[in-house]
Amino acid sequence: MAVQKATPPRHSRRVEAWVYSVLNPLLDSIRRELLLLGRGDLTWRAYSKGFEYIKPIKEYFDPSQLPNLEDFLADPLNPGFASEFAAHDRAVDETSSRARQFYDGLINTVLFRRQVEEAARKYQADPRNALKPLNLGKDDLPHYVAEYLINKTEELPGYYVTHGFWKEKKDQFLHPADEFEAYKQRNSFRALQRQVTKLRSTSENLVEHLERHRRDLCTKFDIPAAPIPSNPPRERDRDDVSSYIPRRA
Amino acid sequence: MSPRTYRDERELLILDTGPIRELILYHAVFSFGFEGLRRELRCLTHADPYDRCVDFVASFRRRTTSASVVSELNCWIRKTERQGQERLWNRIYDQFRGMEMNEEVIRLLHMDIQMVARFGPVDVSIIKLAERHRQERPVVLTIDQALCGICKDAGLGVRHLHEIE
Repeated sequence: MAVQKATPPRHSRRVEAWVYSVLNPLLDSIRRELLLLGRGDLTWRAYSKGFEYIKPIKEYFDPSQLPNLEDFLADPLNPGFASEFAAHDRAVDETSSRARQFYDGLINTVLFRRQVEEAARKYQADPRNALKPLNLGKDDLPHYVAEYLINKTEELPGYYVTHGFWKEKKDQFLHPADEFEAYKQRNSFRALQRQVTKLRSTSENLVEHLERHRRDLCTKFDIPAAPIPSNPPRERDRDDVSSYIPRRA
Repeated sequence: MSPRTYRDERELLILDTGPIRELILYHAVFSFGFEGLRRELRCLTHADPYDRCVDFVASFRRRTTSASVVSELNCWIRKTERQGQERLWNRIYDQFRGMEMNEEVIRLLHMDIQMVARFGPVDVSIIKLAERHRQERPVVLTIDQALCGICKDAGLGVRHLHEIE
């Protein structure tokens, strides 16, 4: 016997699950993406060759909540999200490939490695930097520099061993005018920048759609946008660090 | 010649769990927007104490901690939901890489059993680490008043995060 499609009733727990375990965590994560992309920080890490905080949609969820995501995507009350999630994931994947291409291009360019080596030698030879030694493995620095260029890192925390070096030498490696042509990376740099713009636009549209849809569901089914605590916070709740609510981008 | 300042003399900083946790939380909240973690911050609640802490940590040539501290960080992280755990470990890896943190093992059997029973293996590992490096005049950085007291009694350099000026 075919199951009849029925609209969930007001105060539906199923709709609450969509809002609390799908829309809310996703809004948190995509807003964070926009916060980071807004300042050009892709959170790309040389050691993992990937992004720290920009991920495919599914990776933003606790695995225990994936059934709610699947239910959300399968229901006709939530149209358009499957294709938007897929578009987001394609954009993340493409951005990751472009970042990797740019990184590989830099790392394999003799001139780039030689310039990093030379900059490090000059930095260490300066008596003013005697108290801020680089203390890195011989071959590590080019990887750090490539990472900082991908993430458009302006300043590192003061206690990072590369803080002083980057502060003093970064302008030597940032080439906005000729777009890294000296390292023959103009094309890979441009491709990365184009892709970042595309990802940002995809994520902006997605956030708008998610916000609108949450408002619609909350209104239609008369549910709050976040669970209301049944009791005032207790002292022991101070140790619960399970919620991650980012600032708006 | 300019007079020697305290910065000239600093060689080794030994970090207890608290300050590492504070630095990780500060970056998670203020750089990456994990607002939900703000209430976890105890000392580095705004830019002033953070800047002082950064200057202090940066004034040492080398930084180290004990494997027991990493274990204690793990206990803290395990309280978070699964997705949050990976995010916090990412932060820890990034911070450890960034500051070229060394990590040393103090074997349980090398710790005094009465001290372990009284203060726990993490505090004792920090004290033993400071004793191991005594020649380098290390400074222990902590947010634990009890550990401060033990270090002072043992004649070891120690600073509470709140004391940094």
